Amino acid sequence: MVASSAIQLDNVSKTYISRHNQVTAIRAVSFCVKPGEFIALVGPSGCGKSTVLSLIAGLLQPDEGEIRLFGEMVKGPSLRTGYMLQHDGLLEWRTVAENIALGLEIRKEINKQRLKQAHALLHELGLGHADQYYPSQLSGGMRQRVALVRTLALEPDILLLDEPFSAIDYQNKLFLEGLLNAILQRNEMTAVLVTHDLEEALAMSDRVFILGGQPGAIQRIIQLPEEIRALKPLEARSHPLFRPLFHELWQEIQQPHSFHKEDIR
Amino acid sequence: MKAFYNLLKPPNHADLYARYLWRLRLREISIRLAQISLLLLLIGGWEVGVRLGWIDPFLFSSPSRIASLFVQMITEGDLFHHIGQTALETLISFLLGTAGGTIIATVIWAFPWLARVLDPYLVILNSMPKVALGPLFIVTMGAGFGSILAMGIAITIIITTLVMYSSFQGVNPDHLKLARAFGATQWDLFRKIIFPSSIPDLIAALKVNVGLAWVGVIVGEFLVSKAGLGYLIIYGFQVFNLTLVLLSLFIVAICATIMYQAVAYLEKRLLRHRWTE
Ligand SMILES: Nc1ncnc2c1ncn2[C@@H]1O[C@H](COP(=O)(O)OP(=O)(O)OP(=O)(O)O)[C@@H](O)[C@H]1O
Ligand SMILES: [Mg+2]
Repeated sequence: MVASSAIQLDNVSKTYISRHNQVTAIRAVSFCVKPGEFIALVGPSGCGKSTVLSLIAGLLQPDEGEIRLFGEMVKGPSLRTGYMLQHDGLLEWRTVAENIALGLEIRKEINKQRLKQAHALLHELGLGHADQYYPSQLSGGMRQRVALVRTLALEPDILLLDEPFSAIDYQNKLFLEGLLNAILQRNEMTAVLVTHDLEEALAMSDRVFILGGQPGAIQRIIQLPEEIRALKPLEARSHPLFRPLFHELWQEIQQPHSFHKEDIR
Repeated sequence: MKAFYNLLKPPNHADLYARYLWRLRLREISIRLAQISLLLLLIGGWEVGVRLGWIDPFLFSSPSRIASLFVQMITEGDLFHHIGQTALETLISFLLGTAGGTIIATVIWAFPWLARVLDPYLVILNSMPKVALGPLFIVTMGAGFGSILAMGIAITIIITTLVMYSSFQGVNPDHLKLARAFGATQWDLFRKIIFPSSIPDLIAALKVNVGLAWVGVIVGEFLVSKAGLGYLIIYGFQVFNLTLVLLSLFIVAICATIMYQAVAYLEKRLLRHRWTE
């Protein structure tokens, strides 16, 4: 079977059940992401963005529908995905070098060559000098860069990012956005970024998916014009078409219950 | 003496950092001096009190009596035998209790159903005064080494189980999520995330267990033993030799402190790089 999409969700629903209640986080969500595409997932708090990401990562199983990565059904965490969270999740008892080796250790892919590549990446992100440091000796921005290296060291085809830059300062965030953008393009990786920052969503992505409602569903998809997509995140922000798009997105999120079914495809 | 004088000499007025260090050093020295003086004062007061007849030496002995008994027992050679016996019992029950508790915690972590089943039993065992189990140990294991160890282990193992189990459960969920996303198995999670995260709590348990193991072993020796510091205390009490009782107490205090310091050293080595929240 030839897979034309990197990520495909078909009518996916997920309900969290606990002793006292059940919450349907998302209902009948379908979308396709092409290989090499960058998707931003936005929407109000609690609309199920993290749930969608955990489902793609194989950390949760859908109650209905199915999820395919490059045509293959997701049954558990896949070797093709890399996952990053808001909190860097660095292990305090490991040095930077040991932290970036964690994923490789768990996947039993650890060898000299992979470690060398990971260290090259650490250099590229400006942390070559810090590999024997402990996380407590690093700033928030540096820690998140180490977490990025740890994820990229696994050479994922699909990068899943759950608000990775929301806990770091603006300057570092812009810097990391640029770096990530360059790395993704160079390696032709597919990415899904969950963010609350609408500017970030527009500046980084090819398409923005707006999730809304309770339970969450795709409310609208905004396609970014070629002119903006070609630019680096920082430059995209000052493109003349950027402000109108930002307004459009802002308006859309303000009125959560207006569904534009015809936009979905 | 010259070196000591240099330590106290105030540095150049302009150098703020040097002055800061100097003040810090003075403070340290004054605290140490006060501690030593307090000790000398207590011992001196005690000795003088006895000599002047204010304190009854029959009940409270005196530092000089204790010291001469100490020298006598060392030259006769049996003191080290008693110290060795008790220290060995304490060390073994401390290690077995901590290791055993950690292993039980690991097993119930791996089988949550079992954790639920055992929960009320652990709660009851934990609230139970373990030394009350003494007679049971003696009838099952005989009046000797086994019963003393059992007492030391009983007193440490349950609390270690509870502390370690709750520590395993308190591990940062983001760490677990990330490791799962990497494809970690349950065993990977335990080995790479959960156990290392819990080391600070393990050390805290070790610190508590040092004290508890001494309680268990001394009480065990009260009940059954023919040797050891607990035996010396109870024997001294029975023949009304309070000098022997007090000497043994001092030695217990010193040994327990040494073990505690060893754990504190271990803590410093192992937790160098962690946040202290
Ligand atoms: N483990 C869970 N157990 C029960 N309910 C959950 C769980 N995780 C999420 N939910 C519920 O599912 C819904 C969607 O949650 P989710 O975390 O996916 O939202 P989100 O869009 O990522 O929100 P935020 O922007 O605040 O991160 C929420 O109503 C939440 O309360
Ligand atoms: Mg979320």
